[in-house]
Amino acid sequence: MTPIHVRTGSAAHRGLQIAGLAAAAGALLLGATMEAFRVGQLTNVMIFAIAISGLNLATGYTGLLSIGHSAFFGLGAYTTGVMVVTYGAAPMTTIPLAVLLCAVLGFVVGLPALRIRGLYLALVTLAVGVAFPEVVRRFEDLTGGAAGLVIRSRQLAPPEWTGLTVPQRGIWLYWVSAAALLITLVLVRNLTRSRLGIAMIATRDNEIAAAASGVRLATVKTTVFGLSGAVTGLAGSLFAMYVGALSPDGSFTLLKSIELITGLFLGGAATLFGPVVGAFAVVYLPYFTADLASGHVSGVIFGAVLIAIVFLMPEGIAGVAGRFLGRFIRIAPHENQGERP
Amino acid sequence: MDIFLERLFDGVTNGAVYAIMALALVVVFRSTGTINFAQGEMALFTTYLAWWLTTVGLPIWAGALAAGATGFLLGAVVERTLIRPIRRRNDMASLIVALGLFTAFNALAGLLWNSETKPMPSLFPAGLEDFFPVAGARLYWDALGVWLVVLALIAGVFFLFNRTRLGLQMRAVADNAESAALSGVPTGRILMLGWGLAGIVGSLAGVLVTPLSATQLSLTTMFPILIYASAAALFGGLDSPVGAVVGGLAIGVLEALITGYVEFIGGTLPQTAALVVIVLILLFRPTGLFGTRQLERL
Repeated sequence: MTPIHVRTGSAAHRGLQIAGLAAAAGALLLGATMEAFRVGQLTNVMIFAIAISGLNLATGYTGLLSIGHSAFFGLGAYTTGVMVVTYGAAPMTTIPLAVLLCAVLGFVVGLPALRIRGLYLALVTLAVGVAFPEVVRRFEDLTGGAAGLVIRSRQLAPPEWTGLTVPQRGIWLYWVSAAALLITLVLVRNLTRSRLGIAMIATRDNEIAAAASGVRLATVKTTVFGLSGAVTGLAGSLFAMYVGALSPDGSFTLLKSIELITGLFLGGAATLFGPVVGAFAVVYLPYFTADLASGHVSGVIFGAVLIAIVFLMPEGIAGVAGRFLGRFIRIAPHENQGERP
Repeated sequence: MDIFLERLFDGVTNGAVYAIMALALVVVFRSTGTINFAQGEMALFTTYLAWWLTTVGLPIWAGALAAGATGFLLGAVVERTLIRPIRRRNDMASLIVALGLFTAFNALAGLLWNSETKPMPSLFPAGLEDFFPVAGARLYWDALGVWLVVLALIAGVFFLFNRTRLGLQMRAVADNAESAALSGVPTGRILMLGWGLAGIVGSLAGVLVTPLSATQLSLTTMFPILIYASAAALFGGLDSPVGAVVGGLAIGVLEALITGYVEFIGGTLPQTAALVVIVLILLFRPTGLFGTRQLERL
């Protein structure tokens, strides 16, 4: 069967886009009507989708493997936690600061990437990931140390203009996360189609050839790490509002990084929707295996899944689904747009 | 003075263990050009096996032998079935596989033997009175035993690399796998043996270190050691066995002295300190002390 060809910008293409958006909106509305526990789970999925999208920028599109994204997630969460608990800030107003701090940290982590790459870069990010919980424990006065940091649910109340009450904060966070995820996806989509995005992919595919073609590797790598950290930090900030209790050994260890990496590769690295698919796996896999032997089963499954993806499905679920859909519908660039590079 | 000496002894003992683990990392790096992140957790798994054998009545040396044999098998099988098929693809693929193994082996050890801390018997006399005084400081027999094992191991590895046909072939494969294959070296078998050897060395590190470790045998025993060993291997140069040993001892002694004398870092930031070392080395001297610079052909 020959696939249907659709040109970008044509009426058919617009129709498809609107249908996709409508389906997403419908799914979100349906999710919002579920019981509180399910709404919480879906919120968690969306937060993970944002975090994995951040990782996707560095690891998926630019080929800089990071084992330290748990630190960005943690820094975002702790920034929000400390601002709300110690300084009495409204939760939503802490998001910009969390994003900014994570962007700075990402930029700093990206600096070694100028001299080293591959394996060695992974070691540097590993260093950041392992150091984060220790640093949190060390600066006890600020972070609550090993005992953790508890945000009272009163402090997490939705803003007054929404008319929502404290017990309704679950549904409020659900919509905030949905909005944040939507903004993230739009930004990632536009970024990867921009000049910088093409430079990122060129850097991943062949660094030397990219440099020879005029890509500034230094700018690309540090910028990407900054953006990547910022997006994962946004997820961390929302996560702090979601769980309300932060501890260095709970959610911000290396295992979190491994979860994010598993989610990314299972969902599909360097695809727009791969992180969303991966986030479902990362949230629901431990949930379904939790009652068997205290998490060890999900550890074994995570490990096995990671290895299996490399062998069986290097493009991830979203990649395979995209190829499958490509048999029926091909989206080609607009005629006037010329060939894409 | 005696406190300083005791800290120094502690440092050398820990450093010796890091050196063994770093040696395992170096052997793998030389054969396959990748760092095996899962080395520590594979060693953890075989150490649990050794512990389990002692609980069913076997002596600890039998457990250590079994751990070594299992380590060899694990290493060889992992290389043949998981690493070799994807080696040519890119760095990322082998790193992801190593991360998968890391997670899976740790969880598997927890699944089989639960996550409670287990006291591990030592290969050497390890009572509180089993020491002899050196200038007022106590040198325990089990520490001395670890030192001796390290010396023997280094001698063995050097003999293997420099005086045997197998070692020559291993060096040839590490240097240029294609030329080695054209000269009739069975490249595949050599790589498998390299990983197996690293498995033995890693398992030995596990069995030696757990009785000395403050945490004894638990699921988190090996990870800090892997971190320190990576720092040691990088410090000495990833492709240099001498470097691994020098690096291991240096990191061990530094760690003991820093936790002893620098209050800000103290006992709370030890891994961070090791990792800062890693980052600094990578930034200023990526080849380490004894490593060789890699050239890339376009």
